[in-house]
Amino acid sequence: MEEPMAFEKNFEIAKEKAKKVKLFAHDVHGVLTPDTFLCDIEGKRKYSFWHMDGFGDLSLTANGIQVAFLDTTSIDEEGVVRARELKLEKFYYKVTDKVTKLEELKKELGIGSENIGYIGCEVTDIAVMKKVGFAVATADAIDEVKEIADYITTAPGGRGPIREVCEFILRAMGKWGEWVEKVTKMGYK
Amino acid sequence: MNKEAAIEKAKKVKFVILDIHGVITDSILYYTDDGKKSECFSLRDRLGCKALIEGGIGLAFLTSKITRTDEQVGKIYGIPAEKLWGTSAKMGRLDEFEKESGLKDEDICYVGDEMIDLGIMKRVGFSVAPYDGAIEAKEVAAYITKASGGKGVVREAAEFILRAQGKWDAVIDKISK
Repeated sequence: MEEPMAFEKNFEIAKEKAKKVKLFAHDVHGVLTPDTFLCDIEGKRKYSFWHMDGFGDLSLTANGIQVAFLDTTSIDEEGVVRARELKLEKFYYKVTDKVTKLEELKKELGIGSENIGYIGCEVTDIAVMKKVGFAVATADAIDEVKEIADYITTAPGGRGPIREVCEFILRAMGKWGEWVEKVTKMGYK
Repeated sequence: MNKEAAIEKAKKVKFVILDIHGVITDSILYYTDDGKKSECFSLRDRLGCKALIEGGIGLAFLTSKITRTDEQVGKIYGIPAEKLWGTSAKMGRLDEFEKESGLKDEDICYVGDEMIDLGIMKRVGFSVAPYDGAIEAKEVAAYITKASGGKGVVREAAEFILRAQGKWDAVIDKISK
């Protein structure tokens, strides 16, 4: 077997890039969920999500950063259900071309490419990751995705990558401490 | 494993036959007390199947029995119903298919992980085994994936085949849009 590739990322550069994020976008499969799904004898499918990833997304929206789900590959409604649960405003289901969708969102929100963060895991995310200011890869992403990422999470898909990167963004902005204090006193829902 | 030889074999592949248990699943059966059984599949494999189809390569499931789970997954992966083959006489099914399609052994790739797959794996042009397959299966395989069963074996085999045929970049470009 070949040795797994190691990717060195510059933490300081990643922090500078994360500071500018005004919109954080991600796919559902392989990021919010692991790569796997269960299928039972009736063909009903189950997907797992990471509880604290929801907290990550809510932490961003509570701090004035928009969160968008850009979903291309949904088989079922799992992404819709999760987005509804998190009360997300920006949810785009069955998007065929993520690059075009992000261009539209940029215009709508009046922001530039440098203000967009994106987390991905597959070759189909590469085109969009090259266009955003802050590109993130999950720990179990494909090597080509890790290569172009500014930051690689220690968590694999479905095991808390969103929670991790949201903390990274809010720490870079210097908002994390204050937010945690607020949450522990007042709750977050 | 001789990578160069594997590439040469992969170049000729026109049709891929996938075993189900231990290849596109992780071999684990999940039971609930109402008797409903679930199995675990990989979304990456879905991308792999899409890529193969986009690259003009045919696909079939070959397992001892096709269940409703397999039918559903076949649908998701884009495999036509007539290519879901349920028989334990795997070699016989291959003979039949070669007669129907006019394809030869060297045009076919088989992905398998167990002793019952050995005969067919020795026969076809390009045989693939998952990382956690039986030692015997890995011994006869032309290519062993880094992924274990149910964790992206097909995705990896598809990339290997399509790269060998020089189609990978164009196929992914198409799928991304």
